[in-house]
Amino acid sequence: MSSEELKQPALTVKNISKRFGGIQALQNVSFNINKGEVVALLGDNGAGKSTLVRCVSGIHPPDGGEILVNDQQVTVASPQDARELGIETVHQDLAVIPDFDIAANLFLNREILHKNPLLRLLGWLDNKAMREQAQISLQRLNSKVPDLTEAISRLSGGQRQAVAIARAVNSGADVVIMDEPTAALGVEQSAQVNELINLISSQGVAVLLISHNMQHVMETCDRAVVLLRGESIANVKISDVTPRDLVGFITGAQRLTA
Amino acid sequence: MTMRFLTIFLAFLASISAVSAAELRGPLGNPATPVSGIALSDSERQTIRQGGYKAALVWHGSSTWVNALTAGAKAAFDELGIRLVGQTDAQFDPAKQASDLENVMALEPDMILTLVIDGASVKSSFDKAVKAGAELVLLSNPISGYQPGREYVGIVTDDMQGMGVAAAELMAEAVPGGGNIGVIYHDADYFITNTRDRAFMNAIDSGEHGAFSVKAKRGFTKESETSSIASAMVLQYPMLEAVYVSWDAAAEGVIAGLRAAGRPDIKVITHDLGVNNLVDMAMGGNLYASVADRPYEIGYAMALLGAYGILDKPAPAFSVVGFDKVRRDSIAQVWQSTYHTPLPPLLQRALQQ
Amino acid sequence: MLPPEKLNKHAIANAFLRREYFVYYVFILTLLFFTVTLHDVSFFSVTNFMNVIRQTTPVTIMAIGLTFALAGGHIDLSIGAVVALAALVAALLLQMVPVPVAVIGALMVGVAVGLINGLLIEWLKVSSLLITLGTMGVITGVARQLTNLESVPIIEPSFNFVFGSGSFGPVSVLLLWTLGIAALGYLLLRKCRFGRHLLAVGGNEKGARAMGISTIKVRIMALVLASSAAALAGLLYAGRLHGARYTLGEADLLTVIAAVAIGGTSLFGGRASILGAVIGSWLMGLINNGLILSGFSTNEQMIARGVILVVAVAIGVKEQQK
Repeated sequence: MSSEELKQPALTVKNISKRFGGIQALQNVSFNINKGEVVALLGDNGAGKSTLVRCVSGIHPPDGGEILVNDQQVTVASPQDARELGIETVHQDLAVIPDFDIAANLFLNREILHKNPLLRLLGWLDNKAMREQAQISLQRLNSKVPDLTEAISRLSGGQRQAVAIARAVNSGADVVIMDEPTAALGVEQSAQVNELINLISSQGVAVLLISHNMQHVMETCDRAVVLLRGESIANVKISDVTPRDLVGFITGAQRLTA
Repeated sequence: MTMRFLTIFLAFLASISAVSAAELRGPLGNPATPVSGIALSDSERQTIRQGGYKAALVWHGSSTWVNALTAGAKAAFDELGIRLVGQTDAQFDPAKQASDLENVMALEPDMILTLVIDGASVKSSFDKAVKAGAELVLLSNPISGYQPGREYVGIVTDDMQGMGVAAAELMAEAVPGGGNIGVIYHDADYFITNTRDRAFMNAIDSGEHGAFSVKAKRGFTKESETSSIASAMVLQYPMLEAVYVSWDAAAEGVIAGLRAAGRPDIKVITHDLGVNNLVDMAMGGNLYASVADRPYEIGYAMALLGAYGILDKPAPAFSVVGFDKVRRDSIAQVWQSTYHTPLPPLLQRALQQ
Repeated sequence: MLPPEKLNKHAIANAFLRREYFVYYVFILTLLFFTVTLHDVSFFSVTNFMNVIRQTTPVTIMAIGLTFALAGGHIDLSIGAVVALAALVAALLLQMVPVPVAVIGALMVGVAVGLINGLLIEWLKVSSLLITLGTMGVITGVARQLTNLESVPIIEPSFNFVFGSGSFGPVSVLLLWTLGIAALGYLLLRKCRFGRHLLAVGGNEKGARAMGISTIKVRIMALVLASSAAALAGLLYAGRLHGARYTLGEADLLTVIAAVAIGGTSLFGGRASILGAVIGSWLMGLINNGLILSGFSTNEQMIARGVILVVAVAIGVKEQQK
């Protein structure tokens, strides 16, 4: 028994199942993430990590099981539902619009509209307000990003990642899911992203981190959930295990159900 | 009516231009005979009616002009108890016309009335039709190597030469004694428009109709271009008093251009009948007069020629249908002889104003 | 991050070489070229420029509409056919109902076609190229059927004045239409949430969807705008020509696509310029006008127009690849 139970769960999934045709992609997967906790979601390719992320972020609603946000049972039928419930996902491809500037990307589908009610009705954008807000939220993440009017396509990989994470946090998310945030980054930029993850979890955000990098997991995460062929086979505290143990779970050589 | 004017077999062009422009002759040098000579006796009509024959129309395109053509042919078919079994529109594509003809042949028509788009490329399809025993009646364009009375019954056509000259006469009426004019001609290889345009130019150049000076001469290939051409023309040559343009739909753009340039004084002469321009004419706009052919009469005559073929009656090789000059006062009457349909209500109203 | 001085140098060079600006250079060069070579034939005159505007306005309006479709990653080949159908519907309705009703009726043709195009594309998940190729055929057929190929005159003076034939002094109403629609298009694309979502969908469809944007709704809306603009273009043709016929707009599709592409809008979505589309269409009109005034034969004009187009597109595309 650990101290997690004393904390408040931000996201709980119970017995989530998902089939694609004849393939059982997920079977009775259950775990929870507490506020301010960073949980690693591990598993080999095809173990069901991406499917689980898609279920939670509303891209593929699950066939069975429950999703609870802040102990309230919810239905996540679309990405818009997930965002409204406070679940933000930083996708592997970041889901940024290359030609848009930083501010426009930060507020994508969360645009601030003009204060004038008539213009609001027309969907008139308040670009000035969005720039100011963007400045604030990037500062909050200690991000060193150049000009806010710079197009995303002209930023480095780490900077883009920072923008994508800032977008997730910016919209007041309780839960941020990150799919391989450092996969395409160099050592220094990876370290910056790790700092960002620590920073947002210290601000009370629950983080679900998908990664193949054991080093990264050991450094940043509090706990790890391991999937094997669609089932969760381990749910362990990082401080209790070694990277070798984790690899053992991933390959199925070790099995431990919490 | 964009392009009822067709590319023509080169030999035809050559033979036409070889003959003096004064008289229209058929592709094989046959003199033109007026279509009024085509008629059937009562007993001949009886024979046809009893035969229960079938006919097919293999047209080149579709337009109000083709509609009138079809209406004329149908009127004759009704009188003669001939059943119309098939009708096609090749959309100006010779390849489509070839397959249209093959499809129609499955219906085993006894006669085929057609306007051949390209006499060379559809020949093999027509060979099969001739072999199957169908009587062929052609509109304007010949088929290479075919002889009247052998492969086909005869050709019926407009008096394009006469129409061009008539346009020049109308020009002399619009600008008495002559003056400065512009010419917007069809710059593509289409026998009908080329012949009319050339006849107009020759008549103007001859000086018989007055002292005309052609200040500007511009070609077009698409109707949509004429508005820009007319605008540029009056900008460059403000002294113009009248403009000739190849046909009605192309004249619409010219009139719009003149209207925009604020030149209601410049008169327009053209060929064919279209409601839009006739309304302009009726309301005292730029269009002064037009020369209209008689598609209904052509269709009717072609159907009768088909019957000639069935009866093996000697037929004129090259028949010509007349035309009408259309001025404001004759709109209603010419509309009737051209299309055999009632005057469109809007045009009627415009005439009453 | 680049050091500031290096950034500046790049920024200045890039600012001038940006593909978005390319069309303006070509436009100015063409203008200068014709002004010099045609100085004796009133090329550089208010009357002539108004001629160009008047002739080009329907194409400009269609180009603005198509910019929206392309911004979202769709092409719309049916716009030329919509021009004819909307013009005919307006001309027919004008014989029965008051002007505003007829105008709305004609614009509804555009809205309906856009909805049908959009729904078919999104439901069948077939490329817009194929769907609109099909609807283009259907609409052309309906337009031909509607009046059995007869043209329909319009003798309603107020309609003709407002939709093309009117002018205030030397200023044609068509110039006002161009400016008005261009301003509307610009604001919608650049200043409103819809435009931003549309460009997001065109720039990264999966990303936009992951951020909760309804890509289907946004794209259908864009197609409705494209064909509504075409319907308006049909009204403007009808008002200028005092009548409608089924051939209206049939020659415009390629000119419109060329104008939009030269103007800097990507044919694959995500990048769009309303001002570029306007200038692009004026460029096409200017070239046409200059070549006519220069007294070239029809064949020579075709060759010259083709060469200018190829050169313009080649430079534009090369710029895009940088």
